Amino acid sequence: MAHAPDSSTERPAILDKVRPAELPRPPLILNDRGFHWITDKVCGIVEEETPLWWKIMFGVALFVASFTFIGLAYLVSTGTGTWGLRSPVGWGWAIVNFVFWVGIGHAGTLISAILCLLRQKWRTSINRAAEAMTIFAVMCAGLFPLFHVGRVWFGWWLFPLPNQNGIWVQFRSPLEWDVFAVSTYFTVSTLFWYMGMIPDLGAIRDRATTWWRKAVYSLLAMGWRGGNRQWSNFEMAYLLLAGLSTPLVLSVHTIVSFDFAVSNVPGWHTTIFPPYFVAGAIFSGFAMVLTLMLPLRAIYRLHDVITQYHIDNMCKIILATGTMVGYAYATEFFIAAYSGNAFEKFAFVNRAFGQYAWAYWIMVSCNVITPQLFWFKKVRENHSLVWIICLFVNVGMWFERFVITVTSLANDYLPSSWGYYSPTIVDIFTFFGTFGFFSVLFLLFVRFLPLLPMAELKMVSPQADPHAR
Amino acid sequence: MSKKVFQHPAAQPGEPTGPTYWRSLEERNKSPEFLTRAEREFVEGASAITAVERREFLMLMGASFGLAGLGLAGCREPRNHTLPYAKQPEDTIPGIATYYASSFPGEFAHQPILVETHEHRPTKIEGNPSHRANGGASSKFAQASVLDMYDPDRAQASVSADGSVLTVAAVRSFVRGLAAAAQADAGAGLAFLARPSASPTRARLVAGLQAAYPKARWVEYAPVAQNRADAVLGARALPDYAKARRVLSLDRDFLGAHDGTVEDTRAYASARRADTAEQAEKMTRLYVVESTFSLTGAAADHRLRAASSHISGLAIIFAAEVLAQKGAAAAASLKGKVSGIDVDSKWVTECVADLVSAKGEALIVAGDHLSADAHRAVFLANQALGAAVRYVAAPAPSALTIAALAAKPAATLVILGGNPAYDGPADVNFLAAIKAARNVVRLGYHGPSFDETSAAVKAAGGTFLAASHYLESWSDGRTLAGVYVPVQPMIDPLFATVTELDVLAPFAGSDQEPSALVRATFNALSSDASDEAYAAWLAEGVLPGSAFVAATPAVGPAQIKAFAAPALSADALEVRLLPSVHAGDGLQANNGWLAEAPDPMSKTVWENVILISPKLAAKLAIEPSEMVINKIGALNRNINQLVAGRLLCRIATLTLGDKSVTGPLFIMPGMADYTVGLQLGFGRRIGGRIATRVPERLAGSLVGHGFDAYPLVAASAPAVRTGVRLTLTDATVPVGNMQDHWSMEGRDILREGNAEDLKKNQNFAKLGIDGHAPAVYGKDGAMAPAAKAITTPRGNSAYEHPNHSVAPNVAVWKGHEDKFPALQQWGMSIDLNTCTGCNACVTACQSENNIPVVGREQVLKGRNMHWIRLDRYFFDGRAAAGNAIPEDPQVTFMGVACQHCETAPCESVCPANATVHDDQGLNTMAYNRCIGTRYCANNCPYKVRRFNFLDYNKRVDGHFYEGPLGPAKAVKDPADLPQLQKNPDVSVRMRGVMEKCTYCVQRIQEAKIQAKVRARNSADINVRDGVIQVACQQACPAGAIEFGDITDPKSRVAQAKASTRSYGALTYLNTRPRTTYQAKLRNLNLRMPGANLVPLSRVEMDGRAAHGDAHGDAHGAKPHSK
Repeated sequence: MAHAPDSSTERPAILDKVRPAELPRPPLILNDRGFHWITDKVCGIVEEETPLWWKIMFGVALFVASFTFIGLAYLVSTGTGTWGLRSPVGWGWAIVNFVFWVGIGHAGTLISAILCLLRQKWRTSINRAAEAMTIFAVMCAGLFPLFHVGRVWFGWWLFPLPNQNGIWVQFRSPLEWDVFAVSTYFTVSTLFWYMGMIPDLGAIRDRATTWWRKAVYSLLAMGWRGGNRQWSNFEMAYLLLAGLSTPLVLSVHTIVSFDFAVSNVPGWHTTIFPPYFVAGAIFSGFAMVLTLMLPLRAIYRLHDVITQYHIDNMCKIILATGTMVGYAYATEFFIAAYSGNAFEKFAFVNRAFGQYAWAYWIMVSCNVITPQLFWFKKVRENHSLVWIICLFVNVGMWFERFVITVTSLANDYLPSSWGYYSPTIVDIFTFFGTFGFFSVLFLLFVRFLPLLPMAELKMVSPQADPHAR
Repeated sequence: MSKKVFQHPAAQPGEPTGPTYWRSLEERNKSPEFLTRAEREFVEGASAITAVERREFLMLMGASFGLAGLGLAGCREPRNHTLPYAKQPEDTIPGIATYYASSFPGEFAHQPILVETHEHRPTKIEGNPSHRANGGASSKFAQASVLDMYDPDRAQASVSADGSVLTVAAVRSFVRGLAAAAQADAGAGLAFLARPSASPTRARLVAGLQAAYPKARWVEYAPVAQNRADAVLGARALPDYAKARRVLSLDRDFLGAHDGTVEDTRAYASARRADTAEQAEKMTRLYVVESTFSLTGAAADHRLRAASSHISGLAIIFAAEVLAQKGAAAAASLKGKVSGIDVDSKWVTECVADLVSAKGEALIVAGDHLSADAHRAVFLANQALGAAVRYVAAPAPSALTIAALAAKPAATLVILGGNPAYDGPADVNFLAAIKAARNVVRLGYHGPSFDETSAAVKAAGGTFLAASHYLESWSDGRTLAGVYVPVQPMIDPLFATVTELDVLAPFAGSDQEPSALVRATFNALSSDASDEAYAAWLAEGVLPGSAFVAATPAVGPAQIKAFAAPALSADALEVRLLPSVHAGDGLQANNGWLAEAPDPMSKTVWENVILISPKLAAKLAIEPSEMVINKIGALNRNINQLVAGRLLCRIATLTLGDKSVTGPLFIMPGMADYTVGLQLGFGRRIGGRIATRVPERLAGSLVGHGFDAYPLVAASAPAVRTGVRLTLTDATVPVGNMQDHWSMEGRDILREGNAEDLKKNQNFAKLGIDGHAPAVYGKDGAMAPAAKAITTPRGNSAYEHPNHSVAPNVAVWKGHEDKFPALQQWGMSIDLNTCTGCNACVTACQSENNIPVVGREQVLKGRNMHWIRLDRYFFDGRAAAGNAIPEDPQVTFMGVACQHCETAPCESVCPANATVHDDQGLNTMAYNRCIGTRYCANNCPYKVRRFNFLDYNKRVDGHFYEGPLGPAKAVKDPADLPQLQKNPDVSVRMRGVMEKCTYCVQRIQEAKIQAKVRARNSADINVRDGVIQVACQQACPAGAIEFGDITDPKSRVAQAKASTRSYGALTYLNTRPRTTYQAKLRNLNLRMPGANLVPLSRVEMDGRAAHGDAHGDAHGAKPHSK
């Protein structure tokens, strides 16, 4: 710099005239709600009398969850043959469900970690519930790869435990990478979630009126007092964990995609899988967040905290990732044609026009076509429609995993071995039950833990910014 | 009791001795007490526990056992007795298999075999290599017969008319009583019904019986006649397929289901080996005229579809053409005798011209079901051709028929074996003959609960005698050419059972045991009747110089009568009744291995189907919409209605007169237009757990384990019926099938060529799609596979086992390579050119490797466990016809088992490290380490891995889904009997575990141990070539499989791999498979109508967009031409 002009004297007068009008950022909390309101609102959910709808839902969820556990008991006692698997389709619904649930488990950590690093303040309204969703979805996901093995009682052999036989796990296997990727993801996500909750747990503790609430929440709050030093440490730890989680968001689904991409099955063996899977995971994850948050918003009257702006943002992310997924579908076709590899070509043409064409077109219409409605503001503002579209996205993403897993295996290299896979009732019930299992956990979360991060909400509320206009 | 006394030699004088040590003063002083004590091994009294002491001992022990067990007695395992060999039997080393020669009885010819026994328990059948014509090969029926011995449903006791159980002694005295009673009227009321047999001892007893009871009737019946030409010609024709260069088969499936197929296949294959264009032109050319698609038709170079009822006439036409081209006078008159046959005359003239030009190396063979005139005509034609066939004097079949027996029932009826109540002709009321008899005796392998005839006999108040299995019996037999072979017992009968010879001996006036009867026959037949010669015969399994003597049939053209072919149409169909290629005529219907061995052509399994031609199917409009195949997905509408991976066949009824048969329709390419193929041997009404027809649970379906086709068998026309009507119903039934897809989709998985291809580019087999996308060989690109196998890492297992010798490429041993003899590297080569698709390998593998039978329900779910899969592909080749089911396709088989890829895709994806590579190139499977992720199976491009989805070995079929609540096999449960067959050298796998072909690693290990024992201190530990015979290789009658060390250039497998025809499947994936294939060669006569210069498989390959020329170089340097 040659010389810095004195701002007070040499400032061109024109600047004041052309100064652009400042676009007001939409407030993240509406109706001028104060801190106290936020505390009352969030703690009120935990402190109120257990509502009837919760009791009913919880009962239903428990019943549905039992389907999974009965299915798994039958599976373990009798054999993998109780599922619809056959030669050549060695992976069926179990792996489809695994990838589906892991995909759903992506939004939470993305919201809490990546959006945190990117200083997207709107994330605070949804991140707690989304993180809870992540953890519960990963728990549902984890059931499937564990129980899909033929001899689940030897599942611990997947861990590199020293043993006298000198047998070690196979580190070249993507399934082994999965073991580490998913367990790391689960551990870090849980830590992140729990750590972020500590100040809020402290608030609930402080408001507790019964001795047992006090005891339990004291334990959970780990002695949080809200002192400056604690806040300083908390912020730093939160930032560090966000940094640690960020690569995990990308790595988990990348590694899950390696289960397919590292193999040599036509239709699986594609380099596009990691970004494509991650985009799909965020896509399905946000759809699931909306699926869960819209009813909660309505039930608990959270309209001032979860605003149209939040919903708009999430819809736009769904639109963006949905389009990416659609682009990936197109790219797969292009690469297959461009490769000149007859088996690859067949695999993709067969996907779209072969025996599983019905699944493929369900996938395309749900994942590529439906989200395009989010281009329209009117659609984004119609919450019933948003909710329905998100359901479609969830269905579509389940079918995406089905299409990838099953169609590729059913028709690969040797036509002599081609087959057709259909699930059995045990497959269906086991999957169906995981929604119950998920709901049980999520309902418990809603009832007993702070649904929204109070402290963080206060930080982004207009009241927290004394300089705000 | 004296103990052995050890005398130490005293020191000789002058012998150097060291310092003297002593244990005690007594020793120093050499006191007599000490000397006695020192000489004894044990102190005095050590071996003598007095009675009182023993009692005290037992008392104390008993008390302490009682205390220890008091509280726990209720939950101890049931007590079993394990008995050690107190005295080890001679020639028995526990853990080492012993082999005995014997023979597998066929009605027409015995098959010489070796029986592998473990601790005297027969576990596996192998061919007897001492019989040169078999060369150690065997058929699937022989392979499977060992399982019959452990059939849990076999009769375990003889039961008298009043229901009491008879001991063996009681059975013998009962039979003696029967013989004595019949003596009064010279056997006037006595009749025997038996299966035909090739046993000279039985023939001798029958002759004795007929001499002693001149009025008794001896009737033989087999539902599938095999030797009709013998009766017509008065001699047996023995075609020499090894010598013949041109073979015309008139509806004779000599590669399929006949006694003697092993010999014929072996001879045929020996003339089909070729690697160069010259050899390819010289190899046997096979013409086949047939109605259904048989294995012989599949092997044919030129195949003519014709109705079976017309082929008898065609035989005369062909004979007339031969005579005409040879200039014989009788030709014209012969030709004029045939009317009503529409045949491509160019096919006949060119085919015959080719036969005639072969000069003495041509051969015409005719199916057993053809008319007597057809056999005469074929004989005349062969005479004119100077054909490669010889005629021998074989024993004549019995003159009396089952129809005659039923027409005039006997007072005393003895039914030996067979199952006439099930497989008897429909127009013979055999049950009435049983009811009419005052006294019925039935010798059967299955009792009244599991056998139609035994049930009928029981209902008629007859006596049931339980029959021994041939592996428990003494007998003898003759092979196709008449070589005299023994049938030896491998084990005492498992149950109180007797043999046919036991029953017949008293009637022949003999009170000898079967072993003595066989010895007597041997003495008569052998030039040397000494004990040594007898022992040699039993040890070797064949009697040299015992073949049938030559004979000359006397047949003239005048004997041939006029032939008018019946007119066939969609309303008047012809039915061809065949024994099932995988289950025979029904006698072995309770054999799980045979039931689960797929039909080679239709790939249906566990049941039979009504085979119809695509043309007839189109006429019947079976498919709801146009019958085309969606080439893209190719499974939407496949060869038959394939709905969600299940073959759903329409049910139809065939009616002829008052008889009808109902079963599922299967559209079979290559069938004659108006011929309907029916497989016999299924639909047993009363059968064992495998054989019985079970009601299907699904609505609208009829078929369990197949349907009974015998109602259409007539005594006069056992194989072909005409004028049959087919009525279609709307119902469908799922049919178990092991290969859904008929087309290879134009992929270059199996490769074919002919002499022209070899001339143009002898490496034609190595190209194809792989030529377009060359295999990624990395830095070792051009290296020979054998060299690569040693020098570059194989499979990259996580471990090098420290106790094994180390591959020389490991850095630390550089410069010391000489200290480590390179390990042998195992590999396999399969010759697609000689493979006939007979299933012998599949069954042999199942027998050797303890592969479970999973049952129809599991097959329908696509979970068969066979380690070898015989892929069958049809090739249409007509680009325009595109998607229609081919009417006249070519077919090729390809046996696919684990390819033992050097860089195996399965290994790197197993998280538990359960499948790893060994340093001799085997892709091994550690069952104990497998947790069952199935990732390996997904990643195997050859799809050869098999998963134990359910507890197939532990649970009873039908209760797989009941888990621990289902019935478990108990120790004394008869359902557990098949466990005795298990090969003790191979693990029995539990559920949740992956399995696959191991290259018979147990045989490799055994050979390696023997080689190391033989090597002693030398470094020569290599297994000699040919010592290891893997089970499939050993059984293969065509000798299509070679196995051995691929690094030894002299080994047979290395030579096979060096063949120009050698290629690997899917090698572009850089799997580097150790199993490679030799391309199939077709031997074309270009003058024949419809000669496809390019094999149809390649037409399809070439036709695929942008991936053309199999002849071109890697990147299609020159444009392809069709």
